[in-house]
Amino acid sequence: MTIIHNRPLDDIAETAPTLGGNAFTRAFSGGSLWRLIGMLVLILLLGFLTIYPLAMLLYGSLHSTPPGMAGEFNLNGYRSIMTTQNLIVLANTVGISLAKTIPSLTIAVFLAWIVARTDTPFRGALEVLITLPFFIPPILTAMAWGMLANPQVGVINMVWRWATGATDPLVNIYSYGGVIWHMCQYSIPFLFLFMVDAFRAMDPSLEESSRMCGASRWTTFRKITLLLMLPVLTSSFMLSFIKGIETFESALFFGLPAGIKVITTDIYESINHRATPDYQYATSLSFAIMGLMFLLVIWQWWMLRGKSFQTVTGKGFRPSVMELGPWRWVTFAICLMFFFITVVLPIGQLMLGSFFRFFGFYTYDMLTLEHYRAVFANSEFWRAVRNTMMLGLLGATATMALGAIVAYISVRTRWRGRSLIDGMAWLPWMMPGMVLGVGFLWAFAMLPGPIPIYGTVWALLLAYIALGTPVSVRVMTGAYHQLSYDLEECSRVHGASWFQTMWRIMVALAWPAFAVGWVLTFFGIMRELSASILLYSVGSETLAVVLMKLWANGNAEQVSVIGLMMMLLVIVFRWVQLSFIKSRISKL
Amino acid sequence: MTTNTSMTSVIQKTSAIQTWSRRFFMAAVGSLAISAAAGMPAFAQDAEWQKVIDAGKKEGSLVLYTALVGQPSTKQIAEAFTKQYGISVEVLEARASEIRERVRVEQAAGRFAADVMFTSEGQTMLYDKEDKSVDPLPVTPNSQKIGDKFKLKVPMASVMTIPYGIMINTGLVKPADEPKSWKDIADPKWQGKILSDDPRAIGAGYLWFFSTYDKIGEDYVKKVASQKLVFTRDQRESQRRTARGEYSIYMPVIMTDFSDLKGLPVKFIIPEEGVPYVLYGNVMLKKAPHPNAAKLYLDFMQGPVVQKIYAGLGYGPVLGGMTEGLPADVKAISEAKLYGTTDTTRQNEMLAKSKDIFK
Repeated sequence: MTIIHNRPLDDIAETAPTLGGNAFTRAFSGGSLWRLIGMLVLILLLGFLTIYPLAMLLYGSLHSTPPGMAGEFNLNGYRSIMTTQNLIVLANTVGISLAKTIPSLTIAVFLAWIVARTDTPFRGALEVLITLPFFIPPILTAMAWGMLANPQVGVINMVWRWATGATDPLVNIYSYGGVIWHMCQYSIPFLFLFMVDAFRAMDPSLEESSRMCGASRWTTFRKITLLLMLPVLTSSFMLSFIKGIETFESALFFGLPAGIKVITTDIYESINHRATPDYQYATSLSFAIMGLMFLLVIWQWWMLRGKSFQTVTGKGFRPSVMELGPWRWVTFAICLMFFFITVVLPIGQLMLGSFFRFFGFYTYDMLTLEHYRAVFANSEFWRAVRNTMMLGLLGATATMALGAIVAYISVRTRWRGRSLIDGMAWLPWMMPGMVLGVGFLWAFAMLPGPIPIYGTVWALLLAYIALGTPVSVRVMTGAYHQLSYDLEECSRVHGASWFQTMWRIMVALAWPAFAVGWVLTFFGIMRELSASILLYSVGSETLAVVLMKLWANGNAEQVSVIGLMMMLLVIVFRWVQLSFIKSRISKL
Repeated sequence: MTTNTSMTSVIQKTSAIQTWSRRFFMAAVGSLAISAAAGMPAFAQDAEWQKVIDAGKKEGSLVLYTALVGQPSTKQIAEAFTKQYGISVEVLEARASEIRERVRVEQAAGRFAADVMFTSEGQTMLYDKEDKSVDPLPVTPNSQKIGDKFKLKVPMASVMTIPYGIMINTGLVKPADEPKSWKDIADPKWQGKILSDDPRAIGAGYLWFFSTYDKIGEDYVKKVASQKLVFTRDQRESQRRTARGEYSIYMPVIMTDFSDLKGLPVKFIIPEEGVPYVLYGNVMLKKAPHPNAAKLYLDFMQGPVVQKIYAGLGYGPVLGGMTEGLPADVKAISEAKLYGTTDTTRQNEMLAKSKDIFK
């Protein structure tokens, strides 16, 4: 009962009736020629966004000099990465990433289940609040945790010493544990956001049937809930694991003092801390990692092949929640504890610090509003806000639209080339951001003169779309996996056109996922620095660039003020989105 | 014949006039040559420079790339420049390696967008030798007035030096124990108490390593390495961490940051040996779209207006007499004895050494 074997998908897509309408409609709905053209356009677009910059990087890895400089083709880059030391660093990196992904995924699944499938009190507010750290620039949470958990004068250790009389510190953030913990601050909310709507969209009758057949709550959770979530869970695992391999802020901040090395700090050093940036080394190393990551994608394809995970079907869908009785206060307490540790502690520090002249010096005479005044009076900040808002709105919408189309084709059709576009959409996720940023720089600057992309906001926009596509495709893939084909067939049988069906069924039913993906992409754009710093032009600074400048000049408190404002924006976005979902669900 | 006679008389007359006028001319030139040497050529140069000024004003704008990120002084200087010449300045900031790659790629693709790059001496050598992305330096009125040691072989118009020293937490270090020199850092009493910028990667820590290795010696550096230094790569956050009491000493610290930390329990110390420094200046980028405005900017940065701005912030000016009247603490930092800086040609060798010593 857990997994339903699929009937041939070809029946659905290949035999779809040809309908009239305009050329665009026909491109996706009708005759194979138009479909071919539609696919071709999509492949070209994705090719430009992902393959082209990667091809430039591949050139960089195989050439003794970066593009535009005289040199020769050789394999020195790949030869130079084949060292025992790199192998140890790789093992270390994989270990750290696994050590953060597995607990993060477990906690995120548990939290998503609590919020989406149980009657835990205040779960609406908790849903917004427990995700907040994700939206704060990593450098700020790193600073906050540095203040809370450094072994010498960290607040947690001071309290511990005072309470127990111990001399040794309780926690030390400058350690493996610290690196992993800081990464978890980002992966738990991300995974939670990524999965929560999939949990919500599950038909509880499946769980109820299991319970009626005598399975315990735990068995039901394990055998029904989790297995039905397999596409979302495997996607989550991969997104998080790959990100874990590529993150470098945590390792740089907390790992370096403890002598912990990961692949990305090595890449970072080869670009930023050598006399001459060694792009051949950096790109070769990145491609080697990318090759390894792609094995994971193939593993996921193999695992999900030929299985169906539909939970939203034509038979009455009744998204109800499990009644936990008095246990709901236990789940509430767990959420509250999580909220306190991961949100209140670090963000409380940032909030408190923003009202004092210096972080960590909380005396009466240091109280001030000067950081808020400075931020509000900073014209460059406001210009960056306008630029970033425009890029965020446009970029997130375009990225999600592209992601929805790619996901639809790869999950719900048998069109030729669907695996290709699905694979292409993964690529940007597998390249460390700072290397991919260089790829975009090379790609856009080297375009023939008359194509005016480099030096304009379009360069930023295109880079953001490329960077956001992996998440948007994954989010939408997870949602589409859950929708039954009979919904589509039913709509088409009743005479709706392909686009009407797409809109009324595929968009309307998948839009909570679309909205979450949109928020993730929007804030991804807001935080993106690696590509932005290489592509922005005078006057088109983004918020991340302004934050970097303020940070570089030692204005950590002003950076916090902006970080807190970004967080406020998240609360507004999420609140609007969730109250929308609520009103939709009550109408269903 | 008559013609000949008359011709001869004309010639004689003429030659008499010529002789006279030659004498007069010689005398005139002589007297002018005395007033000299100074006056005349300067007039000529002034006229030449005036042409640059006019052409620069006509160009109307300037695109400046800078590797000195986040400094409010950049905007202040740009505004002063606009006020003087009516030329607007557009500034693009990014870290050294990022902005260098941008310039290289832009030029390779035939997009000559920037006029001037504000960067370090070491980077200039790479721009010049490896990327070949810079033009030779123009001779401008102010370029001749700067201190001789700041007139470089590489095509960079020197502007100021960034000095690096030692920072202590005054709550943790008693006045009697304060380190006074770089040598004091090697005292075993500081074991485990020093937060240091990472000397194994290009940056402040490496600058310290380079200058002390050269001037004090390998034994000294090895002694410091045995102090169990804790490494970091974030200058400003490390200053705060030391201020909060995580460590007694942070080194090497950017001395000019002292004014940002006023009110915190920290003290900035100028080591007795002197301050390792990074020399910053401007380079003219190849095929600059506003070459005359660029020349004006290079000149302006070496003039008293900008030199005073930098001296007032504690940076070392390249023009003499700029520290007059400054508050004592700023003056001391701005005038601190320059100890040593890095040499790009020895970068790989020295980085390898540092990695070997500070495993």
